Amino acid sequence: MIFPDKINSNRVGTLRVPTKLFAAVQFLFPFLVLGSLWEVLIRLGLVNATLLPAPSMLMQELYELFFRKQALQHHLYHSLYRLLLGYLLAVMVGVMMGTVLALSKVVRQMFSVTLSLLISIPTIAWIPVLLITLGLGDKTVITAIFLGGVFEITYSTVAGMRSVDRQLTNAARIMGATRWDLFFKVLLPGSLVSIMPSLRLSVGYCWRALVGGEMLSAMIKWGLGKMIYEARFWNDVKVMLVGLAAIGILGVVLDRLFLKTLEQATLEKWGMLVER
Amino acid sequence: MIVNSDVKIAINNVTKVFGANSNLVVALEDFSLNIPNNKFTTIVGPSGCGKSTLLYLLGGFDKPTAGEILMDGKPIAVPGPDRGFVFQDFALFPWKTVIGNVMFGLLHNGYNKKEAKEIAMDYISLVNLNGFEHAYPHTLSGGMKQRVGIARALAYRPEVLLMDEPFGSLDAQNRKNMQRELVKVWEKLKKTVVFVTHSVIEAAYLSDIIVVMTARPGKVKGIIEANIPRPRDYIGDDYLAVRKQVLLLLEEEVQKEISQNRHGPL
Amino acid sequence: MNYNRYLYPIIPLLGFFFCWEIAARFSLINTGLFPSPVTILNDLKELFYQEASGRSVLLTHLVVTLKRLFYAAIGGTLVGFIVGVCTGLSYRFYRFCDPIITVIMPIPGIAMAPLFIIWLGFGDVTIITAGAVAAFFPIAHNTSIGVRSIDRQLVRAAQIMGANKFSVLSQVYIPWSAVYLFTGIKLGLARCWRTVIAVEFIAAANWGLGYMIWDAAEYLNASIVYGGIILLAITFTLIEKGLINFFERATIVKWGMIRS
Repeated sequence: MIFPDKINSNRVGTLRVPTKLFAAVQFLFPFLVLGSLWEVLIRLGLVNATLLPAPSMLMQELYELFFRKQALQHHLYHSLYRLLLGYLLAVMVGVMMGTVLALSKVVRQMFSVTLSLLISIPTIAWIPVLLITLGLGDKTVITAIFLGGVFEITYSTVAGMRSVDRQLTNAARIMGATRWDLFFKVLLPGSLVSIMPSLRLSVGYCWRALVGGEMLSAMIKWGLGKMIYEARFWNDVKVMLVGLAAIGILGVVLDRLFLKTLEQATLEKWGMLVER
Repeated sequence: MIVNSDVKIAINNVTKVFGANSNLVVALEDFSLNIPNNKFTTIVGPSGCGKSTLLYLLGGFDKPTAGEILMDGKPIAVPGPDRGFVFQDFALFPWKTVIGNVMFGLLHNGYNKKEAKEIAMDYISLVNLNGFEHAYPHTLSGGMKQRVGIARALAYRPEVLLMDEPFGSLDAQNRKNMQRELVKVWEKLKKTVVFVTHSVIEAAYLSDIIVVMTARPGKVKGIIEANIPRPRDYIGDDYLAVRKQVLLLLEEEVQKEISQNRHGPL
Repeated sequence: MNYNRYLYPIIPLLGFFFCWEIAARFSLINTGLFPSPVTILNDLKELFYQEASGRSVLLTHLVVTLKRLFYAAIGGTLVGFIVGVCTGLSYRFYRFCDPIITVIMPIPGIAMAPLFIIWLGFGDVTIITAGAVAAFFPIAHNTSIGVRSIDRQLVRAAQIMGANKFSVLSQVYIPWSAVYLFTGIKLGLARCWRTVIAVEFIAAANWGLGYMIWDAAEYLNASIVYGGIILLAITFTLIEKGLINFFERATIVKWGMIRS
């Protein structure tokens, strides 16, 4: 019953399987099992296919959407483009605001409570405000994404910069660093330890804002969220599930592939990451 | 000397191996020892010699790879209330008060709440913790925590008390106090105790029998009888003689263990 | 000196609302889109006094949302706790569930709402289910970590004192996981209520804070939109600080088991 100390062995019977392949198969295994079970239940007629279409039907739908109608790419493209824009804006503004707050005690004392309050408002709650002020289109969605990430990034930038060891800044000053130097070469890299995890976290928040925003903005035509929302009017569960799967997979991909690599290229290389 | 009918626990040719494939660690190899009844036995040895592993086997938390361990002729397979265990890190339940901790064993051995409470109070008095029954462990000092540990292990009257470096986490002064208290408790109860430590001072102060183990893989290097009346004097001649005897046996093994580690950990 | 700590934060907030009020009074901004703060408060007050079936409209919205939140949180916590304990205890089960949880956890609750609408229709059931699903994941995940991180000495201590498997589970594993459960509940509750509000935007029939805000947006009633958001923020902060802290103090603080 007690959780065993697992020695990572890659011996399947008498075969030696490469670790990465083994890990990938282990990851996919539950999905394969559940998918097959699901398929069987549908074929046996035990589950209503309109309510819960079988994986085979989903595959078909995926093919339709991706290859024939080419719709999935459009949806993906629009969603990702909005995400990228909103996220980059959030990062830039967030880091700038965070820096200002970090460097000036007075400003910080004035605005830190406001910042905490703003963080606690759910992004989704901003959307009705955005809808009535910015309309029902792209701008609203991108702004929502921006708001989803910016407060979190500001907060962690402040924390990160303030935690940069004084000795590092003193050392740089003695060596003749200018204020720009100090910022770009000491403070910014030093605060990355705090900012990095929050960058990863913010992608999640922005992603949430993206989906929510797309679902609620009536005037946009493309986007994963929109795709799922529209499918309701056709009672098309297939499209919804494909959409949800796309969201789930993209979420994992974005986090693991994109940002983990970034983390590795900077923090791990510099030996600054404390393994969580 | 030790006669068969006085043997409480018989450890027969026990081998214990950890790990798999190329990471094998042989903690104990063909280890044999008889633990005498109603005596205080201490096992000392250099770091990593397997003494804690042995104690865990006696507790039933692990099974030997080869060989057998018999208590009163019956094999020890699982942890059970015929033994009590005192842990180095106290292992008190943080969500239970002192009396809650001490009552735990009693409640699981057929006593009802009222009886358990009374008996628990007796043992709390025995370890001098009156007044602290309703305190939570995190408010207690290290020494007090261990007293709870001892009371808890004794309350359900096990036949054997196993103690794994119980005073290792305490500072020197507290340690000495606890040693004195333990002797007082033992004098009252006179159970079979198996005590593991790497402190020779402690071993010589507390025990009737001192078993010295070799460096890894552990075997019995020598057994010393300490027939000194209690309470003992830390600067008494008889006590110091025993200490010297143990040290002589131990020093060689400690040197061996150090040179083993110089060639890299096993 | 310390007056600054309390004074400074208020300055920008007061200043902001003050300027907003002035701008609205002097028609410097579009009061249709940005009604003055005083107007917002007044409109909220009106809604509070407005009655429907003998009860205050504003309060009814609030209570309906809180009710949904309550059921969703309870449901999500129970199921999450059980699944968390099971995945914590059984390595096999953990290995099976973990990939599924990893992929589904990041999907925002609102994305699943249309699916639930098709399966469960509009109204309470859908909203509560979506909220429960949102709460489930962090709770299951954290509880699982909690169970897996148990101090084995405690298990051994219980075993040697005669506890059977069930006792070890209920009297050692579960109290130990309490710390982790609370962290999970904090995260889960936050996700839960965000999802409840979001799903209320699209799936609520007539009542609920989310419905109130959304409806107001559709009729371009900006006061209620802003007012609703403020109400949201206050309500939830109170719930989190008040309720959860209370439970924490009664358990993990008392036992000295906090993780900062």
